[in-house]
Amino acid sequence: MTGTLLFQSLVLGVLLGGLYALLAAGLTLYFGVMRVVMIAHSAFLVLAAYLAWDFNQRTGLDPLVSLVVTVPLFFLAGVGMQRLLIARLRPATVTMMSVLLTFAVALTIEGLLGFVYSGTQRRIQLPYSGASIDFFGARIAVVKLIAFGLAALALLGLFLVLTRTRFGQALRATIQHPQAAQLLGIDTNRIAGFGFGLGLATAAIGGTALALDSTIFPSLHWHWIGPLMAIIVVGGLGSVPGAAIAAMLLGIMQSLLQLPMGTTWAQTVFYLALFATLMIRPQGFFGGRLAQRF
Amino acid sequence: MTAGLETRELTKAFGGVVAVDHATVSFRHGKVNALIGPNGSGKTTFFNCVTGMIRPDSGTASYRGKDITRTAPHRVAAAGIGRSFQLCRIFPRMTVMENLLAAVRPQGIGALLRRSGGAADVERARGWLHRVGIDHLEAAEARDLSYGQQKLLELAGVLMAEPETIMLDEPAGGVNPALIDRIAALVRELNAEGRTFIVVEHNMELVMSLSDHVVVFDRGRPIAEGPPADVQSDPAVLEAYLGV
Amino acid sequence: MRSASRWVALAVGVALVLAFPLVSPNAYILSAAVVILHYAVLSTSWNVVGGFTGYISLGHAAYFGLGAYGTALLITRAGVPSFLALGLAGLVVAVLAVPIGIAALRVRGASFVIVSIALVLILLLVFQSWREVTGGSDGLVVPRPFPELLRPQHHLVFFYLFAALLALVLLAWWTIDRSRFGMGLKAIREDEDKAQALGVPTFAYKLAAFVLSATFTALGGGMYALWFGDLDPVFQFSILIGSYMVLMALLGGVRHLFGPVLGALVVGVALEFFKQQYGDTQFHLVATGLLLGVVVLFMPDGVIPAVRGLLARRGPQQSSIREVSAAELQKERVP
Repeated sequence: MTGTLLFQSLVLGVLLGGLYALLAAGLTLYFGVMRVVMIAHSAFLVLAAYLAWDFNQRTGLDPLVSLVVTVPLFFLAGVGMQRLLIARLRPATVTMMSVLLTFAVALTIEGLLGFVYSGTQRRIQLPYSGASIDFFGARIAVVKLIAFGLAALALLGLFLVLTRTRFGQALRATIQHPQAAQLLGIDTNRIAGFGFGLGLATAAIGGTALALDSTIFPSLHWHWIGPLMAIIVVGGLGSVPGAAIAAMLLGIMQSLLQLPMGTTWAQTVFYLALFATLMIRPQGFFGGRLAQRF
Repeated sequence: MTAGLETRELTKAFGGVVAVDHATVSFRHGKVNALIGPNGSGKTTFFNCVTGMIRPDSGTASYRGKDITRTAPHRVAAAGIGRSFQLCRIFPRMTVMENLLAAVRPQGIGALLRRSGGAADVERARGWLHRVGIDHLEAAEARDLSYGQQKLLELAGVLMAEPETIMLDEPAGGVNPALIDRIAALVRELNAEGRTFIVVEHNMELVMSLSDHVVVFDRGRPIAEGPPADVQSDPAVLEAYLGV
Repeated sequence: MRSASRWVALAVGVALVLAFPLVSPNAYILSAAVVILHYAVLSTSWNVVGGFTGYISLGHAAYFGLGAYGTALLITRAGVPSFLALGLAGLVVAVLAVPIGIAALRVRGASFVIVSIALVLILLLVFQSWREVTGGSDGLVVPRPFPELLRPQHHLVFFYLFAALLALVLLAWWTIDRSRFGMGLKAIREDEDKAQALGVPTFAYKLAAFVLSATFTALGGGMYALWFGDLDPVFQFSILIGSYMVLMALLGGVRHLFGPVLGALVVGVALEFFKQQYGDTQFHLVATGLLLGVVVLFMPDGVIPAVRGLLARRGPQQSSIREVSAAELQKERVP
């Protein structure tokens, strides 16, 4: 194993970790505002990827342009999902039942994708699909760089929204202490809806990034939900920075382990991390102590 | 005097906040003990540490000379300590009778698989329901009871496990005056039958009339203890409560 | 009176099941009935942990797959006779379920669900990649236990075998339901901390229920392997199988002995119908998803209580217990 190969894997790991971090941030938002574990997150991710592919097929334009439509659309879908589905659950059982409900949504999306687009594997062909650049001796595909850039920009945007805007402050207050937020005159229901919308918007961006360099098929979301769940548990549920750190670390580890173990076995790192976390520190390594009870 | 529940240097911190701070307390066995203190003085955390619901960071707890530090809650219960919860906790979707039957502790596989609600258990459960005064509600679902009735049900459930020491977390909280009198009478009766009580309570009138021994908590540790009358006039207690 | 009518209903139900193969018009219908019985076994097994303790596992397909592959591998690799292999596989899964349960039951609620899903995904990964042993995606052919039987007879024999297994699992559920052990498990479902404070050894109870449930599920999987004769990790370790178990149990009602069986009947028939009508499209996924969503949103306790509630609402109004007892309360019962 050469140093260059190792370096290349490291860089690829960072690029992958960026996408994981964005998606895990979305999951963390849902959990933060509503104590909801959103199983359908990765189904929406794949849905967005399909929309990007479809858009490219129909218009011939760059799939990135589809973001103009999918991001607002997904935001609205998130608000609607919170209002129409999640808010209907009894507060006492919301965490458990929301898992089942979002699981049901995931199945429905997967089924509809199969129905509309068939089970055939799809891939976007772009002029720059095969291009790669040389980065200190490592060959990095341009599409991966674009995907990472997209994820990084979205994360930065999310960070700015959360820390610099009034809405972000209200959102964080709702996450930390919903009753106190209500006393401050924050309409926590509204905020929770917006939080859900933001979370789904990350899936829209992530999905477009995914469509750039991956082959997509309806059941692809199962390959994502496992690692993402592992990431938020390791990161300590409800902690955005914790999830981001865990995402980076696990992404890099997965990428490095692919060298000796091959792609399939390397995925087990997520599950091993998940089980190790539960055995050693059920509250997660980087965040709150909600994990055990949520 | 027999050793009852005792703690030595018991400590528990949440993040940077020390909820229980090197608390060394010994309760009077066979008496009605009260544990009082301002809100946030660590009384409930202390309860949770002693009964195994929370693992203390350091220090020990013992019951009748036996170490019970970091013992699982069900073992603490088996050692003879029963408890109620601050916000009354019952099994909402079970009947009143089932709430009591769940507190039966069978020994061995055979006993475990025997039918729940055998004549002896039901008889005993009815006895306790009668004692607290809700035997007419036996078949009702617990969630349909009023809050006061739920409090009584919780007490009956604790008694069903036949504990010799009973820790009550705010038995009078959110309860109407008539019911408070009833709970107080019940505590006195049960104490006369030999059960020890440790009661966290904010209702001072009740504390003073009910207890033989009072422990005052402030910032996670006892600052005074003694008979109710002495504690009432203790300057440290007044300071803790009034912030003088 | 009431218990007598129950026994009659039970006897009629058993007779109907036993007589079904005699009236079944063709081999296809019989095989569909076997599929439904196997769903009933699985969802009732799931209900041993899901219904009593409220720990909802979406990953019970893990034990289904392990039981199926365990049975198949014991037959093909070790030459163990078919039904001995089935029993041994059940035992192996029981042993495996202990450490899995210890790890998974440390967390509650949604964390537990995540872990259960992760378990299926990881096993799918392992069984697909470990080609030398499992055959990977090429599948694994399981020798038939009765090679001399023709297809209809094969279905007939397995119809009764699955029915017997279902009876066993139902008996176990019924025994637990009325036992003190069951009362402890239900207390865990209602309020785990409270149960522990009352002296219920919650962890040991949960683990026992979990292992029992996994073992029954594995026996269902093993029986399936012997009946179907061809295994593929994608179908055995499938999230979908796990979600069927949950859907069926919730739909019928997890608090009722026959709830999961009823759910299996409804969902099983619907699935067969969708597969018939729409073939290989993903329509059954949509149907499963929508149905699960409806159940979770509108009747989380299942159809049995929902229907009862409807009937009760049309019948005479019950007076509120609360009002009655508030008056009672004034009567100072304690001296």
